[in-house]
Amino acid sequence: MRALVVILMLLAGASAAHAQDLVSGLSQDQVEINSSYAGTSIVVFGAIEGDDPTPAAPKDVVVVIRGPETDMTVRRKARIAGLWINRDQMKLGGMPAYYYLASPRTRPLDKIASAQTLARYQLGLAYVTPQRIIGTHHPEKAEPFRIAAIAERARDGLYAQTQDVEFLSYSLFRVRIPIPATAPRGEYTVEAYLFRDGTVTSAQSTPLYVDQKGLERRLYRFAHAAPFVYGLSAVLMAMFFGWLSSLLIRQQR
Amino acid sequence: MEIYLPVAEMSVHWLTILGMAAAVGYLSGLLGVGGAFLLTPLLIFYGIPPNVAVATTASHLTASSMSGAIAQWRRRAVDLKMAGVMLCGGFLGSAVGVYLFGLLHRIGQTEIVVSVGYVILLGTVGGLMLDESVRTLRAAQLGTPPPLRMRVHHNWIHGLPFKLRFKQSRLYISLVPPVALGFFVGILSSLLGVGGGFVLVPAMIYLLRMPTGVVIGTSLTQIVCVTAATTLLQSVSNFSVDIVLAAILVVGGAIGAQFGVRMASRLRGEHLRLLLALLVLAVAARLFIGLVTTPDDLYSLAVGS
Repeated sequence: MRALVVILMLLAGASAAHAQDLVSGLSQDQVEINSSYAGTSIVVFGAIEGDDPTPAAPKDVVVVIRGPETDMTVRRKARIAGLWINRDQMKLGGMPAYYYLASPRTRPLDKIASAQTLARYQLGLAYVTPQRIIGTHHPEKAEPFRIAAIAERARDGLYAQTQDVEFLSYSLFRVRIPIPATAPRGEYTVEAYLFRDGTVTSAQSTPLYVDQKGLERRLYRFAHAAPFVYGLSAVLMAMFFGWLSSLLIRQQR
Repeated sequence: MEIYLPVAEMSVHWLTILGMAAAVGYLSGLLGVGGAFLLTPLLIFYGIPPNVAVATTASHLTASSMSGAIAQWRRRAVDLKMAGVMLCGGFLGSAVGVYLFGLLHRIGQTEIVVSVGYVILLGTVGGLMLDESVRTLRAAQLGTPPPLRMRVHHNWIHGLPFKLRFKQSRLYISLVPPVALGFFVGILSSLLGVGGGFVLVPAMIYLLRMPTGVVIGTSLTQIVCVTAATTLLQSVSNFSVDIVLAAILVVGGAIGAQFGVRMASRLRGEHLRLLLALLVLAVAARLFIGLVTTPDDLYSLAVGS
């Protein structure tokens, strides 16, 4: 859905024959999770191409990376008989599992465009919204749950908003985006937006794949494809080490 | 020093986890308990998802009980018939527990059930153990013989049907209590991720009246089988066993147990029991505080469907 919006934007940008276009790329289009994986970072770089028709007008580049869509269940505790127990819950369908936004160092995000524009593209932590809400017909009731979900993800380092876009020259930019170890596997999209005078004039979307590799992938597959054999091997391993341990204990005596 | 856990889908400092498992293994070697009641909360505190922590601790228990059980088998201190009868209930209990665990996970009440379950279980057992060990110590100080344990003369258990003879335990009792006991411990094992040794041992002594000599071996045998079944069932129905995490736990536990066993021979039994009682009560108190104090964040988040 969001990708479609971006594509439409691109077409709109092209058909309007703007003098300036955004070109961006990634340092790698695939992140492989192996046994020593502890998170990584990718570099998004790009350039604003073409002549600047109105050099005086402010222009900004916003880069955002979104993880695969996932459902989040948010629960609110309430005191029941003296104990804090989960009571109300709300399911936020289709939230990005990972979200990282970078705007230029020179200007905060809310100065770049109006709240309405930012909300349309879901730019900024405040505007991360679920595709659908399950649990209520009143969207305003889900609002505290949405805010709590964003705060929780931010605490876990999975949602962030920074001002890290660095301009190397008048038209060349670069930003390093962390992919923490807890970021889930799946297809990510990296989007770069060029803003002029508060409106998006050019945008580009690039996919990024994060996936397990080698042994990790095989183990994960194993656990899901042949769960009985998988469980059995866990049991046999445990029994083997228990037996080994009893041998060692006996030797001590 | 990071290692990626494929099922938990996160990376951990493997040395930290190994250290935790070794510390718990040390205590279990020292005190003769499985130690899961410490390990499961520790793992959750570290950030391992609770469902993975509970399910994976079962394999740690299989390993630590296995090494104890082998030692008891060699001494022929296992009543295999009794273990078999209890296992009939144990497997069923384990299946019910795994089912309940999946259900609670879906409705978001795992945390509260696990915490309340721990507080009740650990509070009761810890309190009883503390009482017993303090009394024994005080009696030893005064030079009087330790007070006789409460004796229930010919209790209701002997009135139940389906009696069976257990040669090794020198018992002729109904099948119902051991099966029920096994069932209950099976539920505990899969729901709370504990082995249940500290419930089994007193129940076998006081309720079933088994001779103390065969109690430990029989309970360990039972725990090996029930935790093995739990691991299998959790793998099949909840996909929550992480084999990489299990390997770290099992190895750490085995290392720690070596030192614990060595240390145990230098300490007196009453002191060990007092230590265990205090430890159990401390964990219960910590969990209880967590339940009643206002949390910093009222909201919690579960990702995935």
